[in-house]
Amino acid sequence: MSHTVLNAEAMPYLDVSDPAFSIRSEAVADARDASWCARTPYGLAVLRYDDVQKLLRHPKLRQGSYRWPSHNGVTGLFARWWENMLLSQEGDTHARLRRMANPAFSPKLIGALQPKFTELANMLIDRFADRGECDFIAEFTEPYATGVICDLLGLPFEKWRELADIAADMGLALGVTFKQDLTTIDAATRRIFDYAEELVALRRAEPSDDFIGMLVRANAETDQLSDQELLDMIVLAIFGGIDTTRNQLGLAMATFVEHPDQWALLGEQPELARAAVEEVMRVRPTITWVTREATETFTYNDTEIPQGTTLHLFSQSAGSDPSVFPEPGFDIAAARKPHFGFGGGAHHCLGHFIARGDMTEALKLLSQRLKNPRFNGEVKWLPDSGNTGAITLPIAFDAA
Amino acid sequence: MKITVDMEACLLHGQCVIAAPEIFSFDDDGGLVWVAAPDEGLRDDAEAAADACPEQAIVIA
Repeated sequence: MSHTVLNAEAMPYLDVSDPAFSIRSEAVADARDASWCARTPYGLAVLRYDDVQKLLRHPKLRQGSYRWPSHNGVTGLFARWWENMLLSQEGDTHARLRRMANPAFSPKLIGALQPKFTELANMLIDRFADRGECDFIAEFTEPYATGVICDLLGLPFEKWRELADIAADMGLALGVTFKQDLTTIDAATRRIFDYAEELVALRRAEPSDDFIGMLVRANAETDQLSDQELLDMIVLAIFGGIDTTRNQLGLAMATFVEHPDQWALLGEQPELARAAVEEVMRVRPTITWVTREATETFTYNDTEIPQGTTLHLFSQSAGSDPSVFPEPGFDIAAARKPHFGFGGGAHHCLGHFIARGDMTEALKLLSQRLKNPRFNGEVKWLPDSGNTGAITLPIAFDAA
Repeated sequence: MKITVDMEACLLHGQCVIAAPEIFSFDDDGGLVWVAAPDEGLRDDAEAAADACPEQAIVIA
């Protein structure tokens, strides 16, 4: 970014664009000790808990990734969707869309899905339990995360592979090869919109109170959600719900493998599963930073932040900030302050009730059925920054 | 209808301000303010706000 930040010379520098950069590195911890903020090739990185909390909802900041397609010189189906969907909107349009979407994501509606989460998790564990080993990503987190979306949309589980593949192809848009992969990305976007149109047609013919039914009703009974906005919202629910949950559950298992006493504790006290989700997201969030952009020049902590500056709010380093979490360990029974793994402010993750519900159920059942999980081969990781997680996670365990 | 907000749990995301702007708002210092006893006609809005709160900090009585 070309914006000049005053006092910037005094700030530490973090090269977050280096593929070897780790958001859990000593360099980040040292930078956090030295300053609330670091310089990066993309703008600023905000490192401490209190500042991340304040800036997540700062009135002079907007959500920062809306310009990603234009930064890459990309137009087309994916770019149109990305620039128009809920996350990229601000102000009145954002508030209107969020109000329309909220009923479909309410905690009341999610409660009804709980038995389906249980059934899905057990069915997947049944497939590999006797073998005493699995690739936890390919055989559990990916089909589970996508299966939950199938349940949400009223699709049969058998569709999971197709949906997962579409989401993976669309996900290429978030990587550095966005422009080269555009044909694949837009073909996947076309297919996901075809799905959404089909689902909407079904609910229009046969109204229902499920997730799509609620959105279709908002579209039919108000003038607040256009046909295109309805489809854009459904696509966001599919796209936003698959990779995030897949990665977060993989990070959960990897963390527990490194803390076997905590896994044993969870197995004995399954009522800790909800707290376990929060503790995992504090120490190992898949969303390691949240992006914001300054809508006008403002001063924060005696630093002038020029209009257009990109800020990465490091949820990862906020969650391990020793001034707020003096006990650095991983402890699912400890009382903790809230983490920022779901972002915060106006753009707080819309799907968090679903994510919390399905991950809680998964960890509860996994800890009952897979004892003493351990690494069983090489774990392949995404870069330890941005949206992170395991690509493959071979584990062995003792089936209970 | 009476509305209380657990300010220990509240993280000022402002989802209630989005869901029910006639009841909840931010003051000039960024603090949350709300109508403690809104008209019964705003019950749907109040419930939408309580549902939308990520911290589930809003209680309606």
